[in-house]
Amino acid sequence: MPSLRELQQRFADAAFAPPGTAPAFGVVAPADGALRIGIYRTAMFANYRNALSASYPVVLRLTGTRFFHTAVDAFVRAHPSTSGDLNVYGDAFGDFLAGYAPAANLPWLRDIARLEWAQDEAHRARDAVHAPETVFAALAAAPADRLPLLRVTLEPSCRLIASSYPVLRVWQVNQSGFEGDARVSLDEGADTLLVRRDAHGVSIERIGAGDFAWLAALAGNATLGSAIDAAQTADAGFDLGTALRAHIAAGTIAAIVDA
Amino acid sequence: MTPRPCLPAAAGIGLRAPHVGHVLATRPQVAWFEVHSENYYADGGPALAALDRIRADYPLSLHGVGMSLGSTDPLDRGHLAKLKRLIARVDPAAVSEHLCWSGVAARHLNDLLPLPYTEEALDHVCARVGEVQDALGRELMVENVSSYLAFADATIPEWEFVAAVARRTGCKLLCDVNNIHINAVNHGFDADAYLAALPPAAIAEIHLAGFDASGPCLIDTHGAPVAPEVWALYARAIARFGPQPTLIEWDTDIPAFAVLEREAATAQSMLEARDAVAA
Repeated sequence: MPSLRELQQRFADAAFAPPGTAPAFGVVAPADGALRIGIYRTAMFANYRNALSASYPVVLRLTGTRFFHTAVDAFVRAHPSTSGDLNVYGDAFGDFLAGYAPAANLPWLRDIARLEWAQDEAHRARDAVHAPETVFAALAAAPADRLPLLRVTLEPSCRLIASSYPVLRVWQVNQSGFEGDARVSLDEGADTLLVRRDAHGVSIERIGAGDFAWLAALAGNATLGSAIDAAQTADAGFDLGTALRAHIAAGTIAAIVDA
Repeated sequence: MTPRPCLPAAAGIGLRAPHVGHVLATRPQVAWFEVHSENYYADGGPALAALDRIRADYPLSLHGVGMSLGSTDPLDRGHLAKLKRLIARVDPAAVSEHLCWSGVAARHLNDLLPLPYTEEALDHVCARVGEVQDALGRELMVENVSSYLAFADATIPEWEFVAAVARRTGCKLLCDVNNIHINAVNHGFDADAYLAALPPAAIAEIHLAGFDASGPCLIDTHGAPVAPEVWALYARAIARFGPQPTLIEWDTDIPAFAVLEREAATAQSMLEARDAVAA
């Protein structure tokens, strides 16, 4: 008799197998084996289709239900879930779409997916206290010669999304209730976006290329001194004082770290 | 936080995202709520904040769908830690998981999959229930699941398996009456013999839901009203087990909250009728 582990592996193999595949283990009423394991297969894929539809509504809307479901099924087979928490499944969907042959003529789809996942993560991120005055005070208290060596902590829900495509416009015109000209030209240009959650919910803000490079460097634990190089490479006109004031006031920068 | 209440022996409702706003705005008369634990595994955010507010006004039960108690993979310590964190946050009246497995060899199916009812599986799942109860430092309720196939290698009737888990581990049982009916039909056994095999002292909650009978076997969709046969089985269950906290579950094609309130009212009237008979 197969071990419990063997039975579980054969069950999982059968559930992931193509429709109609019979299970490679003994079932009561063996004539119905393929049918019965098929019920699990159908339920499993439907469950993932629903979960990813909730995380990627704009990708779904842009590609249509049939295309989307086929893509999700392929994604599930290529990147099975590894967590009992279905809410965190699907982070790799954007990268998967980038290499998914049927989506080859939609090169911007990956970035739309990344933008949607960033919002999903922002919804679930740790709560933080919005206290810009404390951050300004910490900055003012730092000795001038220490300034280039300081690091910052970004507010936990912050996500930075850069794309060669105008993904924010694409996202906006695909929101229910959008009114106006829904045409987007892919030539409208690149986007550098900051996604974050505040008391009013999750927002997407277009920020300058200098601010984006600066925040990305700071998110990667760069010091203020080295982050400014990244910012000025992206935008020669980048002004540190302006950026610091704006992002502390807005709560993007949640703390100053002197260590 | 208000002190932890017990789950009352009354009808509660499974609270799903589409109804949270309505419940917070109108504070309906519901004896208690149950939520899926994993939906509140987030580090923060509005869903958790809403749960805090629900918890302030209602007894709350946490119902896990992803612990994969019966899997032969090691217990997911990260998953367990998040459950522990959530329990510390909301101090729930009850914590439950399913008597099933959900993934193997690091591949999760995110479904409630049946165990082969064998001595090996019984030993394994009892050890795991013990492990989780030790890690949480509290008693777990374990729920019987619906199934669409039965393993030829099974050697123990499902009802004996379920009863043995409670007896060996000291866990409580969450008796899903709908699942017993579904399995009785799908596998051709007597639902009353199942009820008769369960130790009444271990029963701590009952679940009710609707199924789909349009296919080759009954499918546990949680997407329909409770069926008449299940209401009848429920009446026999509370006749045997006494009045129990009873939950209306509805997870697909979620209807207006009023529909759930009507289902809960039916369960409540049956609980009260049972009380009247007992008195």
